Amino acid sequence: MSATHAETVDGKLPHEPEKATLEGRNKVLSFWLFLGGEAVLFGTLFATFLALRNQTNEGPTANELFHFSTTAYATLILLVSSLTSVFAVQAMHRHKVTALRVWLMITVLLGLGFLGLEIYEFTDYVTAEKFGMTTSAFSSAFYTLVGFHGAHVAFGVLWISILIGQLFKKGLTVVTAPKVYVSAMYWHFIDVVWVFIFTVVYLLGKVG
Amino acid sequence: MTSADHQATHDVVKHSERHEGPQKHIIVFVLSIVLTAIAFAAVAAGGVNAAFTVLLLLVMAVIQVLVQMGYWMHLKDRGHMMPIIFMLGGFFVAGTAIVTALYWVWW
Repeated sequence: MSATHAETVDGKLPHEPEKATLEGRNKVLSFWLFLGGEAVLFGTLFATFLALRNQTNEGPTANELFHFSTTAYATLILLVSSLTSVFAVQAMHRHKVTALRVWLMITVLLGLGFLGLEIYEFTDYVTAEKFGMTTSAFSSAFYTLVGFHGAHVAFGVLWISILIGQLFKKGLTVVTAPKVYVSAMYWHFIDVVWVFIFTVVYLLGKVG
Repeated sequence: MTSADHQATHDVVKHSERHEGPQKHIIVFVLSIVLTAIAFAAVAAGGVNAAFTVLLLLVMAVIQVLVQMGYWMHLKDRGHMMPIIFMLGGFFVAGTAIVTALYWVWW
């Protein structure tokens, strides 16, 4: 392993390898700037949805459409996956590469589970409920907001999967560690956006 | 106590300081579950004043987001002033967009 840690002065991987190099620290800081931009992006989609959520054009309303159980399962899956990516970063800080890879794999699997549930949900809306992208302003705003979040989950699944491959190939180094840390930040942010989605889209839709 | 022992104890103390355990993250997880359950239960129960339910939902969501960003994304750790400014900037613009859409479009 020591050969892969050659970047540090004493040849040992530091406690927080993601912050060991200036490049790593810059990566983490600039990723926060990116997440600030993501907050704006999702904010505008939430704004559109909130403005149009009652314009149902005689199509299905939120109250008719949504089921508590699907939303609850999706919420639970994503929340657990956020916790497993915390454990991944903790394993990284202890330099346990195998545990790190396993936690990342569990995170990816839970992400895939969330995506499967969302695909099932959207398919049900389109086929059984006749709730398509062009049904109403509400349906367009709904699919754009929730679909955009789903696309973020899909991208995260792809990203973390590639990172797992890189961890197999290159091990944990001061180069790979910032990538893991930043991907965990991204995954937490996706979970944070989902908290607002299940609150504003699904639960608020049930209240009326 | 020999010098080596002392060194060992010192290392153990340093070790435990450096590696935070999973406890507080599990507490955040359980808290998130509880906040989510309260939100779902408030809506499922119905009957309650709708305005109160909406307010309750938003408060539960905001608490959950703050706790997760503070502990899971480490925003409460020191050296995170710039990230907090970035996120507050993002949330400010997002909030402006939402308030504009809600109170201007349908005015």
